[in-house]
Amino acid sequence: MLTYDYVKCENLKQAFEQLKSGEQVFPLAGGTDLMVGMRGGKFAPRLLVDIKGLEELQVLKEDDAGITIGAAVTLNQVALFEPIIKHAAPLAEGAHSVGSYAIRNRATLAGNICNASPAADTAAPLYSLAAVINLVGPEQKRSMPIEEFFIGPGKTALKKGELVHSVLIPKPYPQGKGTYIKASRTGSVDLSTVGVAVQSWGDRVRIAVGAVAPTPVRALQVEKAINEGGEKDWAKAASLVHEDISPITDLRGSREYRYHIAEVLIRRGLEQTMGV
Amino acid sequence: MTKKITINFTVNGDRETREAIVGQTLLKFIREELNLKGTKEGCEIGECGACTVLLDGKPVNSCLVLAVELDGKELTTIEGLSKNGELDKLQQAFIDHAAFQCGYCTPGMIMASKALLQRKPNPTDQDINEALSGNLCRCGAYQEIREAIKASTKK
Repeated sequence: MLTYDYVKCENLKQAFEQLKSGEQVFPLAGGTDLMVGMRGGKFAPRLLVDIKGLEELQVLKEDDAGITIGAAVTLNQVALFEPIIKHAAPLAEGAHSVGSYAIRNRATLAGNICNASPAADTAAPLYSLAAVINLVGPEQKRSMPIEEFFIGPGKTALKKGELVHSVLIPKPYPQGKGTYIKASRTGSVDLSTVGVAVQSWGDRVRIAVGAVAPTPVRALQVEKAINEGGEKDWAKAASLVHEDISPITDLRGSREYRYHIAEVLIRRGLEQTMGV
Repeated sequence: MTKKITINFTVNGDRETREAIVGQTLLKFIREELNLKGTKEGCEIGECGACTVLLDGKPVNSCLVLAVELDGKELTTIEGLSKNGELDKLQQAFIDHAAFQCGYCTPGMIMASKALLQRKPNPTDQDINEALSGNLCRCGAYQEIREAIKASTKK
C-alpha cells in the first residue's frame, strides 16, 4: 500500500495552500485515473487534496453565458443533464461512452480533460462545441479555448498549483445536430481507438477527432471544404481528414487503420448531422 | 508512517465511526476492517466490477475509491440486501435462474442491478446491458443474469 497524506478541503483557499505545500501534491476529484495511475506506478503522490466536496466545483447550470460544468461534476451528471443532451449532443454522447456506469458515477469531466489523453472521449466533443476552460489559481482566474488547454499526451496548460474550475459550453449554441461516434475494441470500458465529434449548424460544421494525434485535433481541411468550398459529397470531404491527423500504431489499432476509420466515422457523422 | 483518519459513515443501515488508513482502498477497508467479505477483489483497476458497492445509493467500483472518502457517506454492500434472514427478491431471482456458475462476480452484478432497478423499475435488455457493462462474468452467465433481473421485477 502506498503511503501519502490526504486532506479533504473545505474551500478553494485551503486547496491552493495545500497544492503549493510541496512536490507530488495531486488534486483528487473522481480519482478514477489517479487510483489506477497510483497502483500502476505512474503517480507517486505525497499528498492528495480532495476537492470534490467543494460546492462551487459542483455547479451544473445553464444561464445567459451557456452551460457551466464544475470540476467536481461527474460524467453521469453530464450525460444526463437535459440542456447538454439538447444543445451539446456530442458531449452528452462522449461522456456517456466513458468506462461504465459505475466509473461515470465517480469520474469527472474536468478529470477526463486534465488527464489529457488524446483519446479522452469528452475532449473531441468539447472541441466541436468550442468549449471554454475556466482555470483558477491562488492569485488569478483565467479562461482559454479547449484547443489551447491540450498541449500533448498527459500535458495541459495548467500551471503548478492551478485547478480547472469549470467548463463552459458557450452561447449561442450551434442550432443544428451533433454526434460523437467512437470506435473501440469493446462496447464499453475501453478507450477509443478513434473518436469523432461532429456538430453542425445550417450548412456549416465543426469536426474534431480523438486518438489520432498527440492531442485531439480539429478536422480543419474537412471543415474548410464544407464551410468554405460548399462540398456536399461527404465521402469526398471526409477523405481530407488524412491531412489533419498523424495517428500512431498502438495496441488499439494501427496507424493505417486509424487513418481509415477516422475517415469512415467522419463520413457517418456528416450523414447523421447534415443528412445523406 | 501509516497515517489514519477518523471517518463517520453508515454501512448497511448502521452508523459507524472508524479509523481509516490513508492510502487504503474502500474495497480493502470493507473486506479487512469491516470484515464484510461479500465484496470481491478482481482487477483492482475498475474494469471488472466485482467490487461494486453502493455509495449514497449509486454503484461505484470500491477499488477506485479511498476508504477515507467514505466519510459522511452511506455505504451498501451485498450483505445489506437481505432483511431478517430473508434474501432480497433480486438475490432469490439470481438463485432461481441459476444466474452464476462460480459466483465470484455475483455480488457486484447484484449491486449494479439493484441500482439499475432503483432508477428503472422495469428495465429492458438494453438497459440491463448498459447498466452491467462494467461487470464481467467469466462463466458467461449473462443471459441468465438478464432473466433473473427481469423476473425479480414481476413477483
